[in-house]
Amino acid sequence: MNYDRPELLDRLAAEYVFGMMSARVRRRFQTIQRALPAARQAVQAWEQQLTPLARSVPTEQPSAAVWDAIDRRTGGRSSRPVAPASAWLAGTARLAWLKPVLGVAFGVAATLGLVRLYPTAVVPVDEIVQERGTLPASYVGLLTDAANNPVVLASSTRHGKTMSIKILRKVDVPPGKVLQLWALPKDGVAFPLGVVPAEGKGSFQMADTSERLLSSVPRLAVSIEDTPARAGTSPAPYLLTGNCVKLW
Amino acid sequence: MAAMIGSADLQQLLARVALGDRTAFRQLYDATAPSLFGVALRIVRQRDRAEEVLQDAFVNAWNRAAGYQAALSQPMTWLTAIVRNRALDELRSGARHSADSLEDRESAAAHEIEDERPGPLGLLEQAADALAIRDCLDAIDGVQRQCLALVYYHGLSHSEVASHVGSPIGSVKVWLRRGLEKLKRCLQSLA
Repeated sequence: MNYDRPELLDRLAAEYVFGMMSARVRRRFQTIQRALPAARQAVQAWEQQLTPLARSVPTEQPSAAVWDAIDRRTGGRSSRPVAPASAWLAGTARLAWLKPVLGVAFGVAATLGLVRLYPTAVVPVDEIVQERGTLPASYVGLLTDAANNPVVLASSTRHGKTMSIKILRKVDVPPGKVLQLWALPKDGVAFPLGVVPAEGKGSFQMADTSERLLSSVPRLAVSIEDTPARAGTSPAPYLLTGNCVKLW
Repeated sequence: MAAMIGSADLQQLLARVALGDRTAFRQLYDATAPSLFGVALRIVRQRDRAEEVLQDAFVNAWNRAAGYQAALSQPMTWLTAIVRNRALDELRSGARHSADSLEDRESAAAHEIEDERPGPLGLLEQAADALAIRDCLDAIDGVQRQCLALVYYHGLSHSEVASHVGSPIGSVKVWLRRGLEKLKRCLQSLA
């Protein structure tokens, strides 16, 4: 199907927002939305038009347990351990000043919770912060899945060539395939950065320094590829996407 | 919908939520959860499933609040879209609650139309009244209107709608497509 046709995208977006699509078609169109900004825009436009229809639905009171679960899942009071490990707390306190920086920079409020949960994930920064009390100039990317769950945290110091990867949620990769990290420049074609692991931590050497590669890259993405991508190849549909920000 | 609090107030709350303000998050929840829960409940039809949908939607809203663009959508539109998407995904997933058969859903839909507060068509008409597009809606063929209402408010699939209105699925698809085109024109006339 040729998704470049605006009238087709418009019709599909209206059907998606209205709820007409089967599970299979819905999933496919969600993938298209992730890869194609025009599809996302068409969906947003139809959400504007159609969502007012929901206003006539009578209200219903959910049980109190719903808020408790939301509070816990977003790192609120209900989620705090009764007797937290002191090292964990110390790590959290040390990075407390980072929260607003990361929160605004990522454009994802969850980052706040993330830094609390994974204080060492922003490493190689953590030890340096401890030593110098400052954060080195770095590029950091937080990639999320379709449901907005943080999955990959990528970080590299400004003038370094090493990209450090922390997988926050295991990714299912078909046997023989690889998870390819891409840089999506503001004006230009996506280019490959390196291969990331499906779980745990990892790192790879980039072709050049972060500063040279990423200074005009606002977004990163991950796709599943048959082999590590070379410069000039086109990416498969993106599985994960996220902002890439400068921290300095 | 969020009757006690205006859109501007919700925007302020969302801006604070984006900065990680938990008090604002709770206020946003209190102000909007009953409306959003109503929307989810209509689609997934079971309180426990609707509560899961609401829970996921608010976690999602917390995570995405910083990306909310006030210039592009009203807070309630933004939140409702998150809830509807999650509810439709849940409904279509079919991964759980397989006992919730098509027959059950249809009879539940029929039951609701008979005796519960407004049925889907009633809701569509009320929404049209509120948006001042009732004349435009009434000009849409009756069966098309009914199909649209069953899909939008109850999340019925093509085959479920076909079974519900007792018509071939091919006809239902055509009715829905034509009905949606007409409804789009009604809503566009608002802009």
